[in-house]
Amino acid sequence: MEEYKLDCLHEACPIPLLKALKQLEKMEIGDILIMHTDHNCSIANVVEWAEKHGHHIDYIEIAEGEWEIYIEKAR
Amino acid sequence: MKLYDEIFKKPWPYWVGGIILAVLNVILLCTTDSLWKITSGFVYWGALGLEKLGYDSANWYYFSVYDNGLNEGETFLNNNYTVINIAVIVGALLAVLWANEFKWKRIKNRKQFFFALTGGILMGYGARLSFGCNIGAYFSAIPSFSLHGWIFAAFMFVGAWIGSKILFKYIL
Amino acid sequence: MTSSKIQALKRQKEIKHKKKKRQTPYAVLATTIALIIYLMLTNYHLHLSGFWIIGILLGVTMQRSRFCFAASFRDPIMVGSTSLLKAILIAFIISTVGFFIIQYRAVALNPEYLLTEIPGRLQPVGIHTALGAILFGTGMVVAGGCASGTLVRIGEGYIMQLVVLMGFVIGSTLGAKHFSFWDRILISEAPTIYLPDYLGFFPSLILQLLLLCVLYYIVDWYDKKNSIMATM
Repeated sequence: MEEYKLDCLHEACPIPLLKALKQLEKMEIGDILIMHTDHNCSIANVVEWAEKHGHHIDYIEIAEGEWEIYIEKAR
Repeated sequence: MKLYDEIFKKPWPYWVGGIILAVLNVILLCTTDSLWKITSGFVYWGALGLEKLGYDSANWYYFSVYDNGLNEGETFLNNNYTVINIAVIVGALLAVLWANEFKWKRIKNRKQFFFALTGGILMGYGARLSFGCNIGAYFSAIPSFSLHGWIFAAFMFVGAWIGSKILFKYIL
Repeated sequence: MTSSKIQALKRQKEIKHKKKKRQTPYAVLATTIALIIYLMLTNYHLHLSGFWIIGILLGVTMQRSRFCFAASFRDPIMVGSTSLLKAILIAFIISTVGFFIIQYRAVALNPEYLLTEIPGRLQPVGIHTALGAILFGTGMVVAGGCASGTLVRIGEGYIMQLVVLMGFVIGSTLGAKHFSFWDRILISEAPTIYLPDYLGFFPSLILQLLLLCVLYYIVDWYDKKNSIMATM
């Protein structure tokens, strides 16, 4: 199991989601992607996307308006 | 605390937002006889700026046709579009503060600045050609049974497709 | 949906970031100011107070539900998810019915109505609509937000969206300045098409609702079809 970090601070909408998509394609099943973002749309659209595609996902707010999103590639 | 988190913290489902926005727009039409429009207000702000710089923007052809002008007693600053635009900003600020999520988010780099400005200018110019942005010419126009809303929606997809291509090529 | 690995990571993080500043005092302050402005408006500019309160509710709703008109057009194209577009179609179904009642009442009182007297947004349709929509759509995706999204994000503290707003004001003012040119070559000859004029009131209501429902099903099907890794 490997962990990948993705820094999406100060990126506007769709960029965090697109970056995550790109990164996930390179990863193996069981790997974890940690996204650091301050865009509050991401915790809606990245979560929705990952759930739809069957990946495990959860997020946590680490500071005011900053989140870490964890995605475990499941397929 | 659980209920507080449900309402103020967790994102609402999109469809809830859609229903509330629709109801609010109907209430707005019902009570004020006016619709939710955004970019008309931006024109007034620009015209106000030019007026302050000494241009005679109030006499532009634009303000004399298609109900684009101000009603009696209104100025470029004192009109319902300005009020509702500022209110939307304030509303978002309140929501974000109650969620404890406010943060100043700075601009990442020059490229982001450039694309933000270009995108804004494109939107502004386009909105004048088509009588409104995606609120005035789409969200308020389609329920008004006006054909221009549907045409606007269809061609906005074309624009969004072009924009996506640009985004993939230059921004990502 | 979460997993044990993610839970472990989350717990690690939670230990590190226990302390958080509360913004509630600012929230209380801002709410109070907003209410005071509302009261002032009801006293001095009664017609503006309605706009103020509804605007605030619109802003709150858009922020809370992460509503984004730009994303509703962009996401189906980019990642094949249409949940926002579906939400907008639902909104259209509701507001179509609402607007219909308002318009029908206005017209029932005055059967020889003029188009300008109909409550709602009726504007000429033609090539300029298409041109404007293409420009707008492109700009919307490039700038990462439409007009309403830009306002909401300014409230959330995005400096970048202030730049978008600046561009927006410049663009709209430029567009207004060039308006006589566009009016001469395109807009003045374009008709304003109010559907009930051509189809009758109830047929156009039913037709529009039907169309929205059909679109909803198509969009829903498209969402499910794209459940595989979107090809980039």
